[in-house]
Amino acid sequence: MLIAMKKATLFALKEDRDAILLALQKDGNIMLISEGEKTQTLEGADKVGDQLAKAKDALKFVDLHGKKDSMFAPRLPVSYDSFLRESKEGSDLADQVEELSGKIMSLRNEASTMTSQVDALQPWIDLDIPLEQLAPTDSSVYFAGYLPELEKEAFLEDIRELAAEPIVLREAPEGRAMLIFCMKEEAARLKHFLKAHDFTDVVFPKRTGLVSEIAVDLTEAARVKNLRADELEAQAKKIAESKAELQLYYDQLMAKEDRLANGGVETEKTFYLEGWVRKDRTVQVERAIRSATDAYQIEFRDPAEGEIPPTEMENNSFVSPYESVIELYSRPQAGSIDPDFLMAPFHFIFFGMMLSDAGYGLVLTIGLLIAMKLVKPQGFAGKLAMVIFFGSISTIIWGALFGGWFGLELHPLLFVPMKEPLKMLALCFGLGALHLVCGMLLKAYMLIRDGDVVGAFCDEFSWLIMFAGFLCMAFVPGPVGKYLAIAGAAIIVLTGGREKKGILGKLMGGLLSLYNISGYMSDLLSYSRLFALGLATGVIAMVINTIAQMLMEAGPVGTAVAVLVLLGGHVFNIVINVLGAFVHSSRLQYIEFFGKFYEAGGKAFVPLAIRTKYMNVTK
Amino acid sequence: MITLGTALAFAGAAVAAGFAGVGSAMGVGIAGQAGAGVVSEDPEKFGNVLVLQALPGTQGIYGLLIAFIIVLNLGVIDGSVKDLTTDQGIALFFAGLPMAIGGLMSGIYQGKVAASGIYLCAKRPEETGKGIILAAMVETYAVLSLLISFIMVNGVKL
Repeated sequence: MLIAMKKATLFALKEDRDAILLALQKDGNIMLISEGEKTQTLEGADKVGDQLAKAKDALKFVDLHGKKDSMFAPRLPVSYDSFLRESKEGSDLADQVEELSGKIMSLRNEASTMTSQVDALQPWIDLDIPLEQLAPTDSSVYFAGYLPELEKEAFLEDIRELAAEPIVLREAPEGRAMLIFCMKEEAARLKHFLKAHDFTDVVFPKRTGLVSEIAVDLTEAARVKNLRADELEAQAKKIAESKAELQLYYDQLMAKEDRLANGGVETEKTFYLEGWVRKDRTVQVERAIRSATDAYQIEFRDPAEGEIPPTEMENNSFVSPYESVIELYSRPQAGSIDPDFLMAPFHFIFFGMMLSDAGYGLVLTIGLLIAMKLVKPQGFAGKLAMVIFFGSISTIIWGALFGGWFGLELHPLLFVPMKEPLKMLALCFGLGALHLVCGMLLKAYMLIRDGDVVGAFCDEFSWLIMFAGFLCMAFVPGPVGKYLAIAGAAIIVLTGGREKKGILGKLMGGLLSLYNISGYMSDLLSYSRLFALGLATGVIAMVINTIAQMLMEAGPVGTAVAVLVLLGGHVFNIVINVLGAFVHSSRLQYIEFFGKFYEAGGKAFVPLAIRTKYMNVTK
Repeated sequence: MITLGTALAFAGAAVAAGFAGVGSAMGVGIAGQAGAGVVSEDPEKFGNVLVLQALPGTQGIYGLLIAFIIVLNLGVIDGSVKDLTTDQGIALFFAGLPMAIGGLMSGIYQGKVAASGIYLCAKRPEETGKGIILAAMVETYAVLSLLISFIMVNGVKL
């Protein structure tokens, strides 16, 4: 069911704003909206953003260095009052971590720069001249650099006639390391040869001593820096132990950021806010504001023409988990229809049919019960878990009906689909037809509600008459079915083109709309996946059992392996087929069912509330 | 002695499992490459990425399923291989073909859609569900291939 929304407008004093926003956030019933450019973010919002980024980095760093949280760790509870007091410790920790990670990073950087310098010096390690003595004299100059290996022979040949002395050193990726001395007056000619043979110059680090000594020094210095960084990382591990404090700080900042995101429009002393409130929650909102101040004026009114309120769905506890299936697609538009109550039973049935193994259903039901007890998933994840939980109950039912127990055949209450595929297909198409008809009836309901009775009759009921005719043709003797089908088709042809201009256009339009029958056919055929996916689960389970049986015949070792195969195989089969069953039963809703009537594109109703990532705030 | 018919039936099982397996391997491979890239940026998305990568894996399973039923009907599992006439063998070979071709192509294309879905999940993680549905659209045709292959295999009475 879709909840009607009221638009709230609030006027109050600026000095009360913080208190009001806090109270509204605690209450969690109003979704503030920004009125275009007039709305401004509040003072300090930027700062909170920076702090939040810092806390996030700190948490990332702590995650990297401390021990990982278990996936099933429950959220830590924290009382609302202590949640309000911004954690000083957390803020200090964030600062510390920022400093620490900065230090570690620069130490590691320096160390790696040094190591790469050592690598670059390797070709020159045999040079027996200290670097500081390597300088041009009054009469001579020198060149240091790399010469491609292929050019070496030719180059040495070329400079033989010059007054030059080459020292050939080790090979490097850039070429052969080489040092060439020559008389000053020959320098120009030597340069020419160097250029001709693709010589590249090298720049030595500004250091003194022999290259080999420098390399040793640098290696040592790099080692020391790395050691220091290791020490700091050990310190980080200690900080990581007070991670909970950081997490609390992060959540507090998140809440603060939400609060500051919308300050409304303001004058010198007052401000004005707009928001959406559920029709049945206006009292709570007003009470929350009253708890903060007396000086306010609030007004709730129905949405005006052109205003699109956000969409909020509400259903009973059996149906509401299926809202997650709708959220995965797109929320219904405000003022259309929430199809949950019709979708839920079909999703339930389809999921079970696609898994259709009572043994798997039992395993899933028990497993999910335990998992939900341990983790207590909330919000969207919680709803999704419930959908799969309901689905696994349905799986037990269908598994018992089809006689599937861990791939073994046991007392089918209905029939075994693998042995009677046609019966199974008929069941699938029957359920599919029912599903489609429900969709069309919903559309008809929406049309009638909006006053378009003619449209409901011509575009929906005409088809239903025709389908009823087809059904009668198959099961009821006599010509009743034929006449019904013809009557339905006639209505479609005669009215399908009623929007078109001219008699010819109307006729063509009518004939074309009859062509839609191919669309209905392909929709119906799509339900054959109910059988195919059930088949996949059953046969793969059978394959696993067969392999295990073959292994068991091979003695005790084989039996041990067979147990592993059975366990691993069936778990794998469950996981992959739960994914398949969920995706495909959702798809049947989205494409085949929703295609008939659904109006998507609603915006979510996201009230200002305390949203945490790590903590569980108890009010 | 194995008759030509039995050999042809084996060929039917072989193409169904083999080609559908290749399709899945390629599909999962394509999606996996995209997934590794996304995970390198944001390791927290691994769960979502894995689901999307797993989607093109089903064709291989469907192929195995058809091959298994053929082999089961032939009596290979319980150790006494039946002698099939050549006509029966050809029929079983053709029965394996829809799954082979459908599985091969749909696996590859589902992999491509899944890879795009993984990019979608990188940019807008809240919309991962839509990426999954888009990839599942391709799977429809593998499911249809599976169904017709199964009905055909079932129709060959040995």
